[in-house]
Amino acid sequence: MNVAEVTLEKKYHRAVEHWRRHWLPDYETLLAQWDRYFPQDEPFCLCAKMECGTPDRVAVGEHAGEAKRLAPDELSEEEARHLLAIIRAQASTEFGSIQQHSGTLARAQDDEDRFWVLRVMAEELRHGYQMFHLLLSQDWSKAAAGVRGEEMVEEILSMGTGSHVLDAFNLEYDSFVDNVCFAALVDRVGKYQLTMQKVCAYKPMADSMPPMLREEAFHLAAGVIPMRRWAKRAAQGEGFITMQGLQRSINKWYPRALEMFGDERGGDSNVRMGFKDMKNRQAQDLYIEEVRRMIRDINARYLRARFPGYTPEKSDQVLDEVERSRGRHDGVAFEDLLRLPDRRFFRRKGEPAWTMVGLEGESFAEVDDYLRHLAQRLPEAYLAGGDMKRYAETLRLVVSGQLGVEDAIRKMPRLKRVGGNCPCSRAVRWVVEEPAS
Amino acid sequence: MPEVQAEVRIRPLDELDIGSIVRIDERITGAYRPDLWEQRIGYYLRRDPEASRVAESGGRVVGFMLGDVRAGEFGIEEPGGWIERFGIDPDYRGRDLRTRLVSAILAHLRERGATKVRTLVDRKDAGVTGFLTALGFTPSPLQALERHIEPRESP
Repeated sequence: MNVAEVTLEKKYHRAVEHWRRHWLPDYETLLAQWDRYFPQDEPFCLCAKMECGTPDRVAVGEHAGEAKRLAPDELSEEEARHLLAIIRAQASTEFGSIQQHSGTLARAQDDEDRFWVLRVMAEELRHGYQMFHLLLSQDWSKAAAGVRGEEMVEEILSMGTGSHVLDAFNLEYDSFVDNVCFAALVDRVGKYQLTMQKVCAYKPMADSMPPMLREEAFHLAAGVIPMRRWAKRAAQGEGFITMQGLQRSINKWYPRALEMFGDERGGDSNVRMGFKDMKNRQAQDLYIEEVRRMIRDINARYLRARFPGYTPEKSDQVLDEVERSRGRHDGVAFEDLLRLPDRRFFRRKGEPAWTMVGLEGESFAEVDDYLRHLAQRLPEAYLAGGDMKRYAETLRLVVSGQLGVEDAIRKMPRLKRVGGNCPCSRAVRWVVEEPAS
Repeated sequence: MPEVQAEVRIRPLDELDIGSIVRIDERITGAYRPDLWEQRIGYYLRRDPEASRVAESGGRVVGFMLGDVRAGEFGIEEPGGWIERFGIDPDYRGRDLRTRLVSAILAHLRERGATKVRTLVDRKDAGVTGFLTALGFTPSPLQALERHIEPRESP
């Protein structure tokens, strides 16, 4: 494993440093405390890391077997534009997640949890930096008909929560529970995207993936391990984070995470062009099974803490029985355990967009009934926000036939921050972006 | 009785393996120690997730081996591999899983530029010592030393 470290041209490096002073103000604290929380680990480096020795032949798609493309000019215009859209979305998620994490980071109950998330944020910054390297180290303008990397970088640095490419990055966190559930659920989609992109026919993109994936492994741990610990404390009646609170956060993020794979019926172009090795539904199916495993694991942790005398086999048996019967066992109710929401629950993009499917897969005919169902299952702070209000308004229009599903998907307005592309200009207003025509 | 004929796959450790590793450890030692394993697996995942491996059979983790690359410790400046812990589900012993786990880790350590891999064993544990010897491990010039610390001690 040989990795080359690359820094951006000074003016772009400074732009990223400037951005991080606004959105990652604890960065210096993280570096100062690095050895305390991450003893013996390599020091953090804000740089692009390129894996050496990766395959140089295209693995999938219509160019399979050909030499991987080393420069944008070796791509067709369609391929260049498609790949730029992937890089833009990837970069947006990296910077977007830092903005989300920063809102509630200080509310962590434990310093270790806080520093783990801080490290995640710093590494997301590095991942964004990595995408900027892909945009800036070569000239895309000829291949992509005038699209310039530096303009894309400027646009990405100007995005805020509300104007990012994917919906999961346009929701504010309600509490530190969201920091953790986001890492466990949304970063897991990131792992799938990075894994699929390891085969990318554009070699600099493929070379970027292994170092990012190695860091992503810790990001998932920064989600799952605190959730396991919270489940244990909840079972023992300690702490203030309940299984119901975790479930509500899962219900908030899981539908948005599923939508990050793209429409279930799509993904052919990615495979045809050799940029990814799985279509959307295929990757989403694997993701769902992995989340199912995660939830089972956390429930098992909860039960063993609740019944310390049980053997693992007895604990498994009780878990199976309570899940099957939806009943109780010695004071533990089905509702005390975490559940995997139905894949169609609370969806606004993709195949099940704007259907009214409940957490357990049940269908609703009336909007008011469905909204009441959601209100009982989503975090209270989230329900009080604008996203939920707009969702409810749009759902009513869809169900009444005043708006088609495709239009609703496009219409779902996003908040857009205006007033300059740097948070230094704090005189920002929030406006509703005009729907795409 | 487990499905011992299922094909075994060796793959890098991930965060969802914690429960399975806790379970294997509990089967071997009789102690349920989730806090310990959450801490240790968090450590290995943040350092180098590919340096630790698990053996999976029929979708179930049946063995694990945790390692990493370190440099600059005990005066050893060059990067060297360390294998800290491993365990095989008792129902899956005798299937050469430890050898396969070690081979996978050695391949990764080689890629990382390590030319040596080290571990510490209890000399009294003939099983583990014998297994490691069979894999080519030999006594190291680096010797582990220890001494007892008295509650109150004169210098």
